[in-house]
Amino acid sequence: MRPLLGLLLLSSLLYGEFEYRGYVGADAQAYLSKPDGKHPGNFTLQQQLELKYSVGNFEAAVNLYAQEDSYDLSDEKNERTFVRLDELYGKYYFENDMIFGGKNIRFWGALEVNNLVDTFNTKDFRTDGLDPQKQGTWNTSYTHYFDNSNLSLIVKFYEAKQEMAAYPYVYYFFPEQIPIAGVGVTDVSYDANRESKESVYRPTLYLSYSGSTESDYPVDYAIILQHGYDSQRAFAMEIDPFAKHTTFREELYLVNKVLTYNTMVVGSTLLKFEGLVTDVIDDNVTSVGKRVADYYQFGLGVEYTLSGFIAEADLGLLTEYYYYNTFDHSAEIADDLALFQVFQNDLFVGFRYTFNDSADSSIIAGAIIDMEYQEQSYSFKYETRLFDVLSLKADYAYINPSKSEPTAYALMGLNPNNPNGDPIAHQRIDLNLAYHF
Amino acid sequence: MKKLLLSMVMVANVWAISNFELAQKSDAALSGYHDAKAEMVMTLINANGQERQRTMKSMVLEKKGGDKSLMEFLTPADVKGTKFLSYEHADKDDDQWLYLPALKRVKRIASKNKSGSFMGSEFSYEDLTAFNIDKYSYSGDAEEVTLDGKKMYKSERIPKSKNSGYTKQVSWVTPDTYLTMKVDYYDRKKELLKTATFADYKKLDGVWRIGKITMLNHQNDKKTILVWKNETIKNGLSDRDFNKRVLKR
Repeated sequence: MRPLLGLLLLSSLLYGEFEYRGYVGADAQAYLSKPDGKHPGNFTLQQQLELKYSVGNFEAAVNLYAQEDSYDLSDEKNERTFVRLDELYGKYYFENDMIFGGKNIRFWGALEVNNLVDTFNTKDFRTDGLDPQKQGTWNTSYTHYFDNSNLSLIVKFYEAKQEMAAYPYVYYFFPEQIPIAGVGVTDVSYDANRESKESVYRPTLYLSYSGSTESDYPVDYAIILQHGYDSQRAFAMEIDPFAKHTTFREELYLVNKVLTYNTMVVGSTLLKFEGLVTDVIDDNVTSVGKRVADYYQFGLGVEYTLSGFIAEADLGLLTEYYYYNTFDHSAEIADDLALFQVFQNDLFVGFRYTFNDSADSSIIAGAIIDMEYQEQSYSFKYETRLFDVLSLKADYAYINPSKSEPTAYALMGLNPNNPNGDPIAHQRIDLNLAYHF
Repeated sequence: MKKLLLSMVMVANVWAISNFELAQKSDAALSGYHDAKAEMVMTLINANGQERQRTMKSMVLEKKGGDKSLMEFLTPADVKGTKFLSYEHADKDDDQWLYLPALKRVKRIASKNKSGSFMGSEFSYEDLTAFNIDKYSYSGDAEEVTLDGKKMYKSERIPKSKNSGYTKQVSWVTPDTYLTMKVDYYDRKKELLKTATFADYKKLDGVWRIGKITMLNHQNDKKTILVWKNETIKNGLSDRDFNKRVLKR
C-alpha cells in the first residue's frame, strides 16, 4: 500500500508545475559619518530562493532568505548573519473561496514610503536599518471572493521576535550605555524575546474586507478589524545592578484595532489614504512604569505621473504626510518616542524618474521632514539592470537627527565620546549588485 | 462603350469602401476568439543592433465594452512573477493593476496616459490593447494601393482619446481577408513616429490570430519584435480568471 501511495504522490508532484526565482547578491555600505565605535561600513552577502509548486487548485511555496555579514567572521560580531524561513505554505482554491495555512508575508497599504497599516509581519532590523525586510508569520486564513471584493478571516498564531543586529552595527538604535539611578552607568543590550501577560502564542484575529469600485473615479479599498497583539511595542527594562547591565525587551499588549487603506484614481493622479485607530485593551502600567494609550495614525498621499517627461521617460511626483497621536496625553503615558514611533508629523516630498529603457532604470529621490522633532532625511537611489541577469542599485542617504529629542535617529547618532553633544548626522553610500535567476 | 463604362463603375464599386466599413470588417476578421492564452517573446533591438529579450505569459478575454488581459513576466529574472492586469474600457480610462512579487503587493496604476513605453520596448500600452473600433473616428473612403506588389486598402483613423500618443494612424489592409498588414503611427506633432508590420497570421478554430509584430521607431531607430507562441483560443476562460485575486496566484 505504501509504495502505491508513494507512487501516487510522486506522479501528482510530476504532474504539477514548479517555479523558482531568487538572487545571490552583495551589498556594500559605507558610512561617511557615524558615532565613534560603530562600524564604518558593512559588506553583506545576500541570497533568496523562492520555490512554488502548483497542481490544479493547490499551491505550495517555500521562501528562504540568508545573509552573511563580514564582521560576523571577525571578533567584532554584529549578529547580521542568519538564515530565515519567510514562507512555507499551502493554499487551496475553491470556486469562490480559498483556504491558506502556513507561514507567509502579506502586504497591506497604499502609500509608497511608509505603510502605517502594513502591520501583519514583524520587521527584521538585521537586514537594513533604513529599509528593514519583513519576516514571515505563521497563520491560517479563509477567504471568500465576491465579484469585485473579498472577505478574509485570518488567524495569526504567534507574535514573532523583532530581530535586531548588535552593537557596533550603525543601525543599532540603543545607546551603548545608559545611567540608571542608584546603579550608575550600565551597559545596554537588546533581547529579542518578548514579554507579555498572556502567551505569545495567543492568536491574533483579523477580519478583512477589500475590493474595487467600477466608478468613474475607481477606488481600491480595504478595511481590517483586528483583535489581539499590537504591532506597536512597549519596551521592558531589566536591570542587573551587580553586572551593571540593562536589558531591553519588547513588551506585547492586546488591542482592538481598525485599519483601512485606499487608493483612488483621478486621471493621471493616485490619491491614497491609510489610517488606523487602536483601542489598547490591557493598558495597565508597563514594566517601565508607563501606560500605553489608545492611539490613531493616518497617512495621505498623492502620486502624479507625467508620461513622456523627457523622450520616453516618465516622472512621478510623490507627496505623503503621516500623523500619529494618542487619545490620552497624561504624564504616565508612554509617548511616541518611548514606543519607537518614527512618523509622528512627517512630510515626504519626492519623485520617481523612470527611464523606460530596456534596463528598466529608475531614480527615486526624496526628503522626509519630521515637523515634530525637526529631523530631516534625504535619499537618492538609482536602479538599473546589467546583462539582463544582474541588478545594480546605488543609493545615498543623509539623516540629520533631532538635536532636542531622543528620537530613534538621535539615539543612533549618540557619540559615546561626547554624550552631551549633538547626535551625529548619518550619511551612507550603498552599492548592491545581485545575480537573479 | 456603355457596357465598358458600366463594368468599370461596377469594378470601382466592388473596391470602394469607407474607412469606417473597413475598420468594421478588420475588427470582425479578428473577433470571435472568446479568449486566448499564449507565450510572448519580445525582442528589443537598439539603434546599434544590440538585442535584449523579454518573455511573458498572456491571457486575454474578449469583451464587448473592452477586453480583459493578464500578463505575467517570465524574464528578465529580476521581474519574474510580476503581473499586469488590465480592464480595457472604450468610454473611460482602463483599470490597471501591477503585482510586485518581491513585495507581495498589488499596486493600482493610473492609466490615463496610454503612450508610455511597455517594458522599455517600442510598444506603448495602447499598441498592445486589442483594436477597438469605438476608440477612433473615421471619415472618407479607403484608398486602393499596392504594398509589396499586393493590392491593399489604405485607411486612416483618428484616436478619440486626447490621452492617446497618436494624432493619426494609417493602416494597410488586405482586401480579401481584411487583415491589417502595416500601420503607421503619427505622434502629437503629426510626424511619423512608428511603423508596425504584421506577419505570421494563422487561423485558429476559424479565427485569424496574429503571430508577429515588428515595431520600428523612426525617431530613435529602435525596433521591437513581438512574437506569439503556442497560442490557444476558446479555452473557456471567464471573468473569474481575470479577477484581481489572480494576481496573487
